[in-house]
Amino acid sequence: MTLHFQPPPPDHVPPELIVDFDFFKIPEGVTDPAEIWHGLIRRGVPKIFYTPHNGGHWVFTDYDDIVEGYRNYEIFSTYQTPVPPIEPFPVMQPQGVDPPEHNVFRRLMAPMFTPVAVRGMVEELEERAKGLIDQFADKGGCDFISDFAAKYPTGTFLFLFGLSEDRLPEFLELAKVFFRSTDPEERAKNVTDIYAVLEILFREKEKNPGNDIASAIVTARDAEGKQHPWQDILNCGFLLFVAGLDTVTNTLAYIWRYLATTPEARQHFRERLDDPDAFLRAIEELFRINSVSNLFRRITHDVEYKGIQFKQNDRVILPNTLANRDPDVFENPNAIDLDRTVNTHVTFGVGPHRCVGSHLAKREVMVSMQEWLRRIPDFQLDPNEPPSGVFGGSVMGFESLKLVW
Amino acid sequence: MKVHVNLDVCQGHAKCEDLCPEVFATDAVEGKCVIKDPEVPAGLEEKVRLAVRNCPEGALRVSNAKGSK
Ligand code: HEM
Ligand code: SF4
Repeated sequence: MTLHFQPPPPDHVPPELIVDFDFFKIPEGVTDPAEIWHGLIRRGVPKIFYTPHNGGHWVFTDYDDIVEGYRNYEIFSTYQTPVPPIEPFPVMQPQGVDPPEHNVFRRLMAPMFTPVAVRGMVEELEERAKGLIDQFADKGGCDFISDFAAKYPTGTFLFLFGLSEDRLPEFLELAKVFFRSTDPEERAKNVTDIYAVLEILFREKEKNPGNDIASAIVTARDAEGKQHPWQDILNCGFLLFVAGLDTVTNTLAYIWRYLATTPEARQHFRERLDDPDAFLRAIEELFRINSVSNLFRRITHDVEYKGIQFKQNDRVILPNTLANRDPDVFENPNAIDLDRTVNTHVTFGVGPHRCVGSHLAKREVMVSMQEWLRRIPDFQLDPNEPPSGVFGGSVMGFESLKLVW
Repeated sequence: MKVHVNLDVCQGHAKCEDLCPEVFATDAVEGKCVIKDPEVPAGLEEKVRLAVRNCPEGALRVSNAKGSK
C-alpha cells in the first residue's frame, strides 16, 4: 500500500517507520480518547514511528523510550515544541527551558508546591470542594465537567494567585476558549487576553505583594538581586494557567467516568474515607490508568537514537498513557488494580520537568473524591444521555459527563 | 539495612514519603527526598524496599550492614 501525504515525510524517515496517525482525530464511536493510542499497539506499529500528520512528528511508544525522552534533554528539548508547530511560541517558564537554565524558575516555584506546602492548602481545597458539591448534591444529577471538574482547578488557580473568587466566570471563559476553541482568530485573541490579565495581576502584586504565588514570582530576585525579566514572569503565569487547569479537569472526568461505572471502586474508596494514607496510595492506580497528557519534545541536533536517524527540529510525542501500560514494566497492565504495590507511572513526567504541581494535583483529586463520596456515595452515567463528546491532542478528555444519582 | 538517596537523580515525586513516612520525608524548598535515619528500623525493611521499587527515578538504593547489595 502506498500512502500519499501532503507534505510528504522528509527523506531521513525510512518508509517502514511511517504510520498514518493523527492524534487529534478521534474516530466516530470511540468513547475513550486514549484508545486511539492503545489501538496503535494492537495494530503492531513499530516501537518508534513517524506520522506525517500535524506537521510530521515521531511517536515513542514504550516506557523506556518515553522515559529517555523526558530525561535526556541533550537530545530531547522542551524548547519550542508545539505539534503542529507554531513559531515563535512563548517560552514557557520553566517548562520550555532546558537545564541548567530551567533551574531558575523551577527553584522559584518548587517551594510553593512541595508536599509540605500542599498539606497547608488542604483545608482550603476541602472547603471549595464542599461548596461546589453542595450546590447540586440534592439535585439528583449534574454535568460533572461544567458543574465541578472545570470550576474546581480554576478556583484553585484563583486561590494560588491571590485573586478573588468572583472572577471565576471570567477565568472559566478564558480557559474554555484556550483549551477548546479551534478558531485561529478566537485563539489568538484569547492568548492576548490571558496575557493582558496576567500583566495587570503581576503589576498589582508587585505594588501590593500578598502571600500568594503571583507575588512570590514577581518579587523574586535573580542571582544579581534583580527582578526576573518581565516576559519570563508573564510566561510563568501563563504556564501555570496552561498546566494546572485542563489536566486536572480531564483527569477528574476520567476518574468519575470510571467510578460511575464501577460500584466496587466506589466501595473501595468509601471504605478508605477515614484513612488518607491508604486513599492516597489507591489513587496512584487511577493516575496510571487515566493519564491525560501527551508531551512534546524537539530534537536538538542531528542524532542517531536506537538505530534511527533523527534530524534537528524533528518533533517527538511522548504519550504517557502508553508508557503506563507497557507490559514490560507493569504486570497485567490493562487491569485496574487498586491494590497494585509497584507503580512507577509517568503521568506527571519524570526527570527535570517532573510536574511541579503533581502533589497539588493529587490532593485536588483526592479531596474531590473524599468530599464527593461523603455526599454522593453512589452515582451512574445518565442513561438518557448519549456518550460524551471526546477530544484528543496534548490533553485528552471529555466535553461533558452527565451523571445521575 | 541502610537506605541511600542520590539527590542528583531524585526529582521529588514523594512516592517514598507516601509509602513509608516513618523513614522518608521531603524537604520544604525543593521537595526532594530526606532520609530521616539511613539505618532502617527493624520491621520496616519491606516497606522501605517497596518504596525503593516505586521511585520513578531510581534514586533510592538499599545496602545491608556488610556493605554488599
Ligand atoms: C492531573 C493533573 C496534572 C497532570 C497529568 C500534569 C502533568 C504534567 C507533566 C506530564 C509535566 C511534564 C512536562 C514535560 O516534561 O514537558 C508537567 C509539568 C508541569 N506541571 Fe503539571 N500536571 C498536572 C497538574 C498540574 C498542576 C495542578 C499544576 C500547577 C498548579 C501543574 C504545573 C506544572 C508545571 C509548572 C510544570 C512544568 C515543570 C517544569 O518544567 O519544571 N501541573 N505536568
Ligand atoms: S520517590 Fe524517588 S524521586 Fe521521589 S522523592 Fe523519593 S527518592 Fe526522590
